[in-house]
Amino acid sequence: MTLNIPQQLIDIFDYFFFGFAIAAILSYIILAIISAFETVNYMKKNSFVNYSNILSSSISPSISIIAPAYNESLNIVENVRSLLSNHYVNYDVIIVNDGSKDDSLEKLIVAYDLVKVDYLINYQIETKPLRQGVFKSTNPAFEKLIVVDKENGGKADALNLGLNISTNKYVACIDVDCLLLEDSLQKMVKPFLEATDEKVIAAGGVIRIANSCTIKDGKLLDINFPKNRIVRGQILEYLRAFLLGRMAWSKLNGLLVISGAFGLFDKKIALEVGGYDTKTVGEDMEIIVRMRRHMEEKKVKYRVAYIPDPLCWTEAPDTYKIFISQRNRWTRGTIETLKKHKKIGFNPKYHALGTISYPYWFLFERAAPIVEILGLFYFSLLIVTNNVLWDYALLFLFVAYLFTVMFSIITIITEELTYHQYRKKGMGLQLIKTAFTEPILNHPFILYAALKGNFDYYFNKKIKWGEMTRKGMTTN
Amino acid sequence: MSDLIQNSIDAFQNSHPIIQFCAYVSFLFMAIIMGLMIYLKSLRSRLRIKGRIEATYKKKYEADLIEYLYADDDPENNEQQQKIIAYLAKSSHNRLKRKLIINTFLKLKNEISGETADAIQNLYYKTGLINSATSTLKSKKWDAVARSVRELTQFEIKEAHDEIIPLINHPKKEVRNEIQKYLVKLFRFDGLEFLDVLESNLSEWDQIQLLEILNKFNNLEIPDMSKWLLSKNDSVVLFTLKLARIYNQYEAQEAIKSLLNHTNTEIRIEAINIVNHLGIFEAVEIIKTDLFSRCLEEQIAFFKMMEEMAMPDDIPFIKEHIQHENFYIRVSVMKIMNLITVDTDNTFKVNTITPDFSIDKDLTIAS
Amino acid sequence: MNLSKKIVLAEDNSILSKLLQFKLEKEGYQLLIATNGKEAVNLIEDNRPDMILTDIMMPFISGLEVISHVRNKLEMKTPIVVFSSAGQEEMVLNAFNLGANDFMSKPFSPNELVIRIKRLLQ
Repeated sequence: MTLNIPQQLIDIFDYFFFGFAIAAILSYIILAIISAFETVNYMKKNSFVNYSNILSSSISPSISIIAPAYNESLNIVENVRSLLSNHYVNYDVIIVNDGSKDDSLEKLIVAYDLVKVDYLINYQIETKPLRQGVFKSTNPAFEKLIVVDKENGGKADALNLGLNISTNKYVACIDVDCLLLEDSLQKMVKPFLEATDEKVIAAGGVIRIANSCTIKDGKLLDINFPKNRIVRGQILEYLRAFLLGRMAWSKLNGLLVISGAFGLFDKKIALEVGGYDTKTVGEDMEIIVRMRRHMEEKKVKYRVAYIPDPLCWTEAPDTYKIFISQRNRWTRGTIETLKKHKKIGFNPKYHALGTISYPYWFLFERAAPIVEILGLFYFSLLIVTNNVLWDYALLFLFVAYLFTVMFSIITIITEELTYHQYRKKGMGLQLIKTAFTEPILNHPFILYAALKGNFDYYFNKKIKWGEMTRKGMTTN
Repeated sequence: MSDLIQNSIDAFQNSHPIIQFCAYVSFLFMAIIMGLMIYLKSLRSRLRIKGRIEATYKKKYEADLIEYLYADDDPENNEQQQKIIAYLAKSSHNRLKRKLIINTFLKLKNEISGETADAIQNLYYKTGLINSATSTLKSKKWDAVARSVRELTQFEIKEAHDEIIPLINHPKKEVRNEIQKYLVKLFRFDGLEFLDVLESNLSEWDQIQLLEILNKFNNLEIPDMSKWLLSKNDSVVLFTLKLARIYNQYEAQEAIKSLLNHTNTEIRIEAINIVNHLGIFEAVEIIKTDLFSRCLEEQIAFFKMMEEMAMPDDIPFIKEHIQHENFYIRVSVMKIMNLITVDTDNTFKVNTITPDFSIDKDLTIAS
Repeated sequence: MNLSKKIVLAEDNSILSKLLQFKLEKEGYQLLIATNGKEAVNLIEDNRPDMILTDIMMPFISGLEVISHVRNKLEMKTPIVVFSSAGQEEMVLNAFNLGANDFMSKPFSPNELVIRIKRLLQ
């Protein structure tokens, strides 16, 4: 049954999908090339940096680590201990217990000899009220620790209270279950201090995946390559995004996202823009876009920095259910952020932010899954109507597949040449295997989650938070 | 069989150019993928071997260094020392090994002082490591130059001064910074003379590095800093304000007073911040006259400074602002009037409540 | 007489601890080396040393916590010397509040350390 679709229509669709694919591939190549140059430059500069002075200096700028915690009782004591042992002098750790229903607070009180104190808070951002109040340790060994107990209001709300409480110049917003390496604060604060003719408003760190790694006493002892297929796929995905993506965006000064798991902010500017938006599920992306927009509108030269060193390790979802719900949330966060700030999109008044970053995000992050599914529908239609030229289709598909694999292997080589974290024998082969299987085994789920995110955003407004059940990172 | 191959080749040659092109591209990609995989394999094994070498030699060099230093107490062991020197000198021809030796030396030298530190420096001369460092200064690679300046700084090699000075205007910022650190580490405040002519900005990072280097010395002879406080380079002024605070520059009072009306806001604020530290009471009157035409940050800094500088005469003026809309100013006023005490960790207690003012619980107490 | 005196050293710089080990063993002390606070606490609990040397900034359990543990949990009066770096004055103050007996600021002279240890162990 050969149905006749007008040839012109077919041509238009063909050119559209073909053009989109070519543009995507080109953008990957360009970003990868910029990343390569920038990485070499970064490695050179960092080969003789002396961090010991900033470490000991009494005038090194003050930093607050803000870690919201919701029902984290399982590991909170260990995690806080790890946060308290960062190698930096002038910092404190603010744990915001966001209305946990478990015994997190009681555990912290016992472990760290906490007592309730009267604490001077400058409420510059409105948040949910305190529940039991502010706690500090009676033991001088834990003087850096501040624990705040508040009514539940979500992650953004908890971070906002942390911003109110902090008296320091910079704030590091992290997930409480993240493992920060000891030198993470010194490395992250460096770009803020180095800048002379522009203002650094935020710095983003790299997130690495800690599943199957051995963590003892708050230290990363042994890096393993997990067996779980979902986690393996994510490892490769993260490597690609951080090594070959964000590095280039930082060079172009076009970073739109700082991972919510680890970012450092200039507190004054974060407060000026009103802190985190409690109405979105993508608060980590949204605040960066808002801070950038604010700087553009104030016409101040600014930069969002990026530190490529693997400083923050976290547990990635290892079941399809949790993985899909996480990606679903990311998709909704992206849609909400882009929609809220659509004024800057394609607007030359916002320079690179409006003309490069926003359009890129819109086309290749926001719209890509939709184009992809449309493509699949179109292709099915062609199959049904017997309009497919199979030799062409299969060959195109094969070339696209090969390109993806090639790109992943280049990523693996970049990792080996820079940080070389997967040292053990046999891991190289596992990484390569993942490069071959990932496009087939993992990608469909990412696509599904993105579409579900779109669907939920438009038709299922009730869903707000995806559950992320923690398996716990400590193994002792 | 050969027919089949012949047929497919014919079919391929007769197919559409796009098909042919795609087929070539996929062959190309496959070849690249194969190549990359082989490269990855060899890269990984090379890195693994390098890691093993590093671990082995690190241990070896640490043991050698300890043995060398330990033998120091004993004149009979001199022969043993000579052997170690010869061995290290020979090893240092290899780039990786040289790096490991240097790292071993510095790992210890950075933590200790006195005789043992001198002995390590001595070993740096004797093994000829110093020569390779000074010859690298002529390298065309900026990162190699910066690294060797840094090395010479860490081993405190004064002799390299004449060879380093010509590089002071090096086009790369990183090299210039290393040279600044070299000068300050080896010549203390005399080394800071580069501030007189500095045109580029001294970033906060650089400032911290220099202050920390100075901080490691006691009993420094402190020069008059006024000329740097009046520098046209704002970053030099900000740096000098930090110096003036750390080294209690009472002599610089006049210069600091003039900075209260500097065009750069940050400098004005830092100047206010140092007023209480040096007890410059005249400054209070200067700022008071036009306090509210100054920016908010200056006002906050002023009230903060008054926490220590307020005299009984100032109280009525201070008291007027107890309802100020800014939180920090309010807190400062309450502190000055002794209504509350705030600890360094930002915990506080209420002392007295005056009849004409009750403390707004919402904005101060976390309850 | 000194032979039986045990010293626990908590220091994450391997070469510094090796040097101090040589120096102090030459003086007749027995040295037990920990590379982090947790190991130090274990060594102290197992060996009941006559003296403790600890760096302030260490992985996982800081020197301050080690002191706090020794004085408050184990209730030992063992002399404690802390090593600090420049800029850690506040932490040194805390160390004294917690019950440290002496401090050495890095970089320090190993010979001076030996003298202080001798004096404290008299």
